[in-house]
Formats: sequence, structure tokens, C-alpha cells
Amino acid sequence: MFVSNFMSYPVRTVGPDTLVPEARKIMSAASCRHLPVVDESKLLLGIITDRDIRSALPSKVVDQGEMTECLHRFETLPVKRIMTETVTCLTVEATLDDALILFEEHKVGALPVLDADNRIVGILALNDLLKAYKKLFGLGVRGSSLIVVKDNGKPHPLTRLTEILEAREVPFTRLIRTGDNDRDTLIYIRIHTHKLHAIYHALAEAGFETVAPHPISLESPGFLRRE
Amino acid sequence: MPLSKTFVYISHPRYLEHDTGGGEHPESPERLEEINRRLQTLADPGRIVTQKPAPAARSWIMRIHSEDYLLRFEETALAGLGYFGHPDNQLGYDTYEIALLAAGAGLSGIDLAEQEPAAAIFCGVRPPGHHAEKAMALGFCFLNNIAIAARYWQEKYGRRRLAIIDFDAHHGNGIQAAFEESPEVFYLSIHEHPTFSFPGTGYAEEHGVGSGLGTTMNIPLLPGAGDREVARAFTRRVEPALADFRPEALIIGAGFDGHRLDDMSGLAYSSALYRFLGQRIAALAERHCEGRLITILEGGYHLPSLGESFSEYCSGLRQSS
Repeated sequence: MFVSNFMSYPVRTVGPDTLVPEARKIMSAASCRHLPVVDESKLLLGIITDRDIRSALPSKVVDQGEMTECLHRFETLPVKRIMTETVTCLTVEATLDDALILFEEHKVGALPVLDADNRIVGILALNDLLKAYKKLFGLGVRGSSLIVVKDNGKPHPLTRLTEILEAREVPFTRLIRTGDNDRDTLIYIRIHTHKLHAIYHALAEAGFETVAPHPISLESPGFLRRE
Repeated sequence: MPLSKTFVYISHPRYLEHDTGGGEHPESPERLEEINRRLQTLADPGRIVTQKPAPAARSWIMRIHSEDYLLRFEETALAGLGYFGHPDNQLGYDTYEIALLAAGAGLSGIDLAEQEPAAAIFCGVRPPGHHAEKAMALGFCFLNNIAIAARYWQEKYGRRRLAIIDFDAHHGNGIQAAFEESPEVFYLSIHEHPTFSFPGTGYAEEHGVGSGLGTTMNIPLLPGAGDREVARAFTRRVEPALADFRPEALIIGAGFDGHRLDDMSGLAYSSALYRFLGQRIAALAERHCEGRLITILEGGYHLPSLGESFSEYCSGLRQSS
């Protein structure tokens, strides 16, 4: 769950006097949308994004003369003039959960990761976070499905659930209990087996109620049913 | 009342010897025994023919699976390790050979469909195949019988434009993976929604990849869905898509585990739905492919409803004209 296991490193960086067109080329070659700006000792000064660069380019609606002048200014623009200096960062000890909260609160696309001396050691893009959770939750793996059960207040539900799965050698990758005072507490388990029915039976025998995701009634007769 | 079409049932006694360990394993030999019993009760018994397939040649298997995978599969079976890749995929000493025979059924069915396109052809095989990928056994499947058959039809008979309709309760990830980049093979699957069902693939948003974009159609149904939802999907989605695609031949993945009594899915089909599917599928084959159609068994685990659904489907296949 640590950011350091999922961040990109080493990080491509630029200096404050790097020209914006050069930064644009670097981003394009590295297929990234964020470039940290650092000084000689790798201390973070700011960050420049592809959006900052697009904003520095002249609008296509300006006339030709103005366009030429703007493009000339763009060619000689150092990144320090358009970079964001207040950068939201993570430390190397941060967890993915910490990163998720920062992404949500600050609406940024990438978070530089700093060591104890504030030197940049990595960067975590929003897409890196998605990939990390996908891996941790076992999503996109062939043969996995989600089971939802109600926590009906009987003791040790998580222990009993894991015992059912482990006794049958059924791998699982996610076990989450959620809920609040207004709703049922639900437990979500992502399991890996084709023998789902055996798990449903075992859960029922152990007193668990599973939750169907949709109000279609299991009792509704098929319209083609003849009897 | 017109006579039913000739019905050809392609199967092999050795399919019963694929050993999944007994006990609670749902993919049992009794499934085919139930179908064999039902075969005796189909209408017009004088027009029912049974045929044994030859094993598929390794060269055809390797159109879909890697050589390394086949070696590992054979070694695992012969070593008596019990399962291949995941505890679900139980196998016995003979399973590799039997899987070659199961893949062979589709090839025999295609040879026959080319000679006698008016016949209704059903391959009653095990192990099933539609979850098996190039180098991965999954969900009781080792060799992808349908994908191998599709390549055979394309390459031996030049029927390049094929459609595969898979109405098993579970998405056929292996078939999709084999053809998702191919514009010539249209894979259409109606199955329980992948969030809540094995194998977790087959979202509606998956339409194919690259030049195969548009020739994959997934129709996931929520748990509890029944005949009405399937009939609607078939009429509004499957039939118009095939009218546009104009296939030269049809392969059907027939899984009967969407039945309401089959607890391998949360779907709630009636037995009669399978007659509807048989009729509509035979009509599609007549309309687009001069009758070239084979059906290959996939899932279906609740024995009485498997047998009844098989009978209904076959009756539907034979009725259409």
C-alpha cells in the first residue's frame, strides 16, 4: 500500500531556466503530462503541466501578426515563468490512501514524492494510483467476481468469512466492510473461482445473507414458460 | 406438422472419462449422461444420427493455444497433479487426450455442416472450452473448442466471416480474447453481469480491439434476469447485428446454466427459453448462411434442467424452416 512501490522513478525533471518548448519536447518524448522543476540539488521549485504549456501558447483565433509575436515570446519563455510554485507533495512513507485523499482534495493530476531532505525521488500520477488499486483489489483478473453479504450483527463475521473461503482453497483479493448507522453494514469480497454456487451455499449455511445488486425478482416467471 | 430436421449428435463415450475428482465438482460426467438420456426422447427418432469425432490434430489446436501451454497441460494431466492452474480446473490422467477429442467434435461438425447444411448438428462435449485462453486454463476449460472450430472453418473451407453466439450464463473470455482483434469473427455473448459473475469479463463496453472494433458484442444481464431480457436482447441486438455482418457460418456456444434451477448463475431462464433460442438461431443460419450452423456444448450443471433445456433447444433447432 506504500506509494514508493507504485510511483514512477527516476523522475524526468527540468531546471527553472529550461525553455518551455524544450520542456514540451521532454514531456512528449516521455509521454508524461507533469514535469517537476528542480534546482541543482534536486530540491523541488515547482511543477509544470501540459495544460500550463497549452495556456502559454497563443489562441488560434488571434490574427497572424499577433500569432507570430506570441510564438516568438513562447520560444524564449523559461518554465519558471509559468510553473506552479505551490506543489502538493507526498513523502516516501506515504500510503496510497494518503495519495487518494490528496488527489481528491487538491484536484491535481500528479504528486511528486520527496525524501526526508525534500529532494524529489519519484512521482505518482493519478493513473498510477488507479493501476495500483486495480492490482491490490485483484480487478481485471480473469475468474474474479464480487460477492456482497450483510453483516447481520453476529460475532466475528470477517473471521467466519475468511474461514469459509480458505477451507475451500478459494483465493480472494478484497475484503471490505462498509456501512453507517442508516444503512445495512455490507461486506464485499472479491473471490476467484467458478464454483460460486458452493460459496453461496456455504455462506447461507453459516447464516450469512447475500445481497443481490438489482431489484429484478428471482421469482418472476419467464414469459415463455408454458406451465 | 412438418418433419423435424435430421439431428446429428456428435459425442464420444470417452468424454465420460474426464475425471474432475467427483465430490462437489459441478462439471461431472453425469451431465453428458443426462443429455444422452434425453437424446433418446427427442422427436422423430428415425431422423437422429449419432457420430463419434476424431481427435483434433495438434496443428488445429495450435491455431489458438501455444505449444508451451499444450505441453504443460499434457504434463499436468499425466503427472496426476489433480488440477491445472487453479483448483477449479480438476483433471485426470486421460484429460489431455479427451480434450483433443472434445476439440475434434467441432471439426467433425463443420465437415458435416459443409456436406449437409440442412442438418441440425449438436456437439455434446466435455471438458467445455469457452473460458480457456491461449496459455491459460480457466473455469473447467482447457482447450477452447469453439475458437479452434472457428479457425478450422475459416482455414479449411474458406468461410472467413463467422459469427459465434454464446448463450452460456458466463462470458466466454477465451473466445473473445482469440478474436477481439479480428474483423472477420463476430463474437456475441449474452451472460450474467461480470461484476457479479465468473469470470469477471464481458462488460458491454468491450466492443473489440483495433481492426476488430465492432465485432465483439457483450450483453450482460443482471442477476435475476430471465426469458424476457434474453428475448429482447436477441431481437433488438443480436439479430440486427448479424443482419449487418452477414456471416457465412454460425457457431453456437450452448450453455444451459442460465436456467433458474441451475445455481451456477443468478440468471432465471426457463427451459422454454432454449426452444426460442434454437428456433431463432436456426432461422438466422437459414437467412444468412444457407443453414451452416453447429452448436457446441459449454455449461449447464443442474442435471434435470440441463436435460430439459437441451431437449427444448434441439427441438427449436429442428423446427425452424
